[in-house]
Amino acid sequence: MMCQSVGAMALVLSAPVLAEMQSLDDDDMAAISGQSGITLEMELGMTADRLSYLDDGNGIYLEDFRVGSASRSGESAAHVIKVDITEDASLNLDYLVEDRRIEFGDIRLAGAPGVGMGGVFFDHSLQGNLRISPGGAFGSSGYTFDTAYTMTGGRLGYRTNGNEVFLDDVTLSVEALGVTLDVVGSTLELNAPRISGSYDVGAIRYSSNPANHGNTYDVSTGQALPSYGGLSGTFDLSSKTGVTAGGREGEGFRVDNETTINSASFIYHDDNNALAFRDITGHYNLNDLRVDIAKDRFGRDALGLTLGSLDGEFNIGRIEMGAEGRSIGEVNVSFMLRDHSYNGRNYTNAIYVQGGGHPDAGPQGLRLSAEWSLQLADLSYTEDGNRVIFSGLQSWGQGDVTVNVTRDGELNGTRFYDGLRVGFEDVNAGYRINGLRVGSDDAPLQGGTELLLALGFYPAYEFEMDGQVTLGAGGASGEGLTINSDIRIRNGRAAIIAAPYDEGDGEISQKGLWISDLSYDAHVRDMTVDVTEEGLAIIKGEAWSMMDVGNLRIGDKDRGASFGRFVVQQYETGSSMTVVPGGAGDVCAGGSGATRADCTASGGIWETRGDEGITLRLKQIFARAVSDTRKNAFAWETNRQIDASGNPINNTGTWLLLNDIHTSDGGDFDGDGVDDNTFGIRTDLSVDVYQTKMVKKTDGPDALGVAGARGDEKIMDPAAAAGYRYVSSPTATDLESRPLGFAVRARSQFRELSINNIDLVHPTGGPQTAVYGVKMQNFDIEANLTATPIP
Amino acid sequence: MNRRYCQAVLATLLLLAVNQAAGELDRLNDQDLSEVSGQGGIYLSGDISINEMGGPIENSYFGRCDDPDKKCGARLAYRLKEGGGWMVLDEIKGDFAFEGLTLRVRSIDSGFGGDGEQFNGDVMEIGLPDTVRFNDVRFRIAGSNTFRPTDPGFQQTDIFAVEMQGEVIMEGNLLVFPTGNP
Repeated sequence: MMCQSVGAMALVLSAPVLAEMQSLDDDDMAAISGQSGITLEMELGMTADRLSYLDDGNGIYLEDFRVGSASRSGESAAHVIKVDITEDASLNLDYLVEDRRIEFGDIRLAGAPGVGMGGVFFDHSLQGNLRISPGGAFGSSGYTFDTAYTMTGGRLGYRTNGNEVFLDDVTLSVEALGVTLDVVGSTLELNAPRISGSYDVGAIRYSSNPANHGNTYDVSTGQALPSYGGLSGTFDLSSKTGVTAGGREGEGFRVDNETTINSASFIYHDDNNALAFRDITGHYNLNDLRVDIAKDRFGRDALGLTLGSLDGEFNIGRIEMGAEGRSIGEVNVSFMLRDHSYNGRNYTNAIYVQGGGHPDAGPQGLRLSAEWSLQLADLSYTEDGNRVIFSGLQSWGQGDVTVNVTRDGELNGTRFYDGLRVGFEDVNAGYRINGLRVGSDDAPLQGGTELLLALGFYPAYEFEMDGQVTLGAGGASGEGLTINSDIRIRNGRAAIIAAPYDEGDGEISQKGLWISDLSYDAHVRDMTVDVTEEGLAIIKGEAWSMMDVGNLRIGDKDRGASFGRFVVQQYETGSSMTVVPGGAGDVCAGGSGATRADCTASGGIWETRGDEGITLRLKQIFARAVSDTRKNAFAWETNRQIDASGNPINNTGTWLLLNDIHTSDGGDFDGDGVDDNTFGIRTDLSVDVYQTKMVKKTDGPDALGVAGARGDEKIMDPAAAAGYRYVSSPTATDLESRPLGFAVRARSQFRELSINNIDLVHPTGGPQTAVYGVKMQNFDIEANLTATPIP
Repeated sequence: MNRRYCQAVLATLLLLAVNQAAGELDRLNDQDLSEVSGQGGIYLSGDISINEMGGPIENSYFGRCDDPDKKCGARLAYRLKEGGGWMVLDEIKGDFAFEGLTLRVRSIDSGFGGDGEQFNGDVMEIGLPDTVRFNDVRFRIAGSNTFRPTDPGFQQTDIFAVEMQGEVIMEGNLLVFPTGNP
């Protein structure tokens, strides 16, 4: 049993992700299986009030520790272990564990009485083999482990205040051969040349009834507990881990790890529909992770995880969704987390884990006092062989994140919802992107990061954030997610257009068009997320927000001149978005016709944009105003008074107000006395990375000194000094090297869109209505647009 | 269609849209552009059509474009007096295409007859596309007693109709200056 535990621990340390199992071949099996020796049969039941780990006198306690039967409370778990020692002095163990639960009721810190991190339970049956041989990778004093096992009927749960979320019906198979354990200098080194296997999680379930602890079915109704969906996948890893004594300060320990993902897949299942990440490869290097019992920046006792650096790269070959398993394309991420300075302030990477969670949710939960510094990342997206790289992504931040499993209702004055609640308290964070590269990593840095706005991302964003997101179990039907969230942004600065923050000579003031002095309150109720036969479907029950842009600045985000203040209010009911794999397909750009010949004859360009890409199907239902906070409106304030510091004072200027903007179906067709509002604004947006036609607009050399005449077409050419040249009459071969950009095909329709009134508001004279209603009916707008980054 | 007239109209509309800012059409060559910072941006081309086959409403008034008894264009109505009649842009349809609309932030600290040095700030630069092609763009201006043409007692008086076909040359840049008291 001891050896088994050591072996299991060794595997956990060597594989930060779960490893998979495959069968040993017959030769290996013959060598491992206990052919003779002794057989131990045990009924194991064990309890302990507390297990303690002490570091420089500071303690962390694992409380209410129990090992026993998972299904029969208070009873023991059956163990059968066959032990054999072979001629080469190897120890062979064949083991069978049935219906075992290992559980901690709570995890507490000595310096934080009255609160805990919550409980963890792990149910499983286990069958496998373990061979422990003398001699490691660095000499005879080490060990070599060969193991293969299958876990069935697994549950892994997290529990706070009687509510729990758990992985249910877990099957895990792992094979790891030739795992060595050595002491090298002062480091315990574990080397796993190959860990392979597969996993399957039948469901991820939620319960708000303490009596359901560890059950698949609700004890009162007999129904299966609601599920977020299931998971499955495979993996094939290589890993090397070093553990050294000594924390960041005094006692503690240090962990270093190098892992290579030879291949992997990750599949999320929702009612028989899948969102699949396939052909995953990558590697990462974890350097100098220290684990201490320490105090965070506020002097709070915590389990401190402080990082030297983490760098690596991941590639997802295919992201599939929908019944046909179509792919939206390939994604690659390279990253480097380490200490760095942003906007003149240094950030590091550290998490200080504490108990308690949200103070109103009860005594159990997690509080993560976190700080991060993503010094550099490149994110690339490739579809149908065309690649765009969002280069120089940086992110930094500091703040508290709380985690609780909560149930619906108000507690101590705070509204909670069913599900896993992630809270944000005083999070001060930001990110920025330096520019775009198209084609390859060494292509010239270009502008165009504002193209991300089409996908709902700002190219740069700094903010202070509070709020919460609660992930509930169950979607619009069956499995899936239900989200309730409240987010508040303060002192935000987001770029609509952004120039590089580093042009090669270090950090500079990032020029752009900024929504600065931003306050943003956003609330979502009963938003469901489901994987469907079509794709990924998101349906908002009710959503309302207010975006108050104190100054729309141009140039520097803090000092740039301002166009005034803008306030945008949104109130939507029943809006939805579906992400569908595949882009626009065949398109006639600039003309009409369903065939290449017809398109060309009409003056258009026939474009075959391929099978991959992304299509978004949006339905936005703007509801009529129900209050001053729940309505759709747009306001622009200028001519504000100035305070002693020279800053404009809000609500002292002149307003232009577009009030109560709403959609309608154009009449009351169901006879309930109010206009129907089910159609909304429907937009289909297909986005592809595709070659685009760019024409020189003036004679002479351009910004990079490349000569050409007005009307010449830009053709990419790696042999040219700037990476491109201008061609007056491009050949067919030239046309295959047009620059890459984003090609967007959009269609937007609405039956009726109204503005109730447009007012001019004087600071002393009050509001005067200028327009008593605007009604737009029967719009169907189609667009084929290409957006290409330019240097 | 007088191309220069259209250019002026569009530029005026853009200037009205940015109201507080001052706009300027100024054709810079690439050499000039190379001397200013903040070059990154995007180059936009494309075509946009409105109600090519009709809109999403099908009732006694609106329908598909191949139905001669129905209007297939879009409709926009507004009124300037409470309880008054509606000014209407009706039967809006057509398509247009452009190539080379650019968008970027630009720093100005020289030129413009000495005004640039005095301004010494950043502006939004909208690089106008050389050519905008209009194809069968049309709308009708009318007065109506109800905003919905399907409302009881609906009456409408058409005032005039506009049709646009052909190309408009638009050269230079539109610069949007933040000025005044925000």
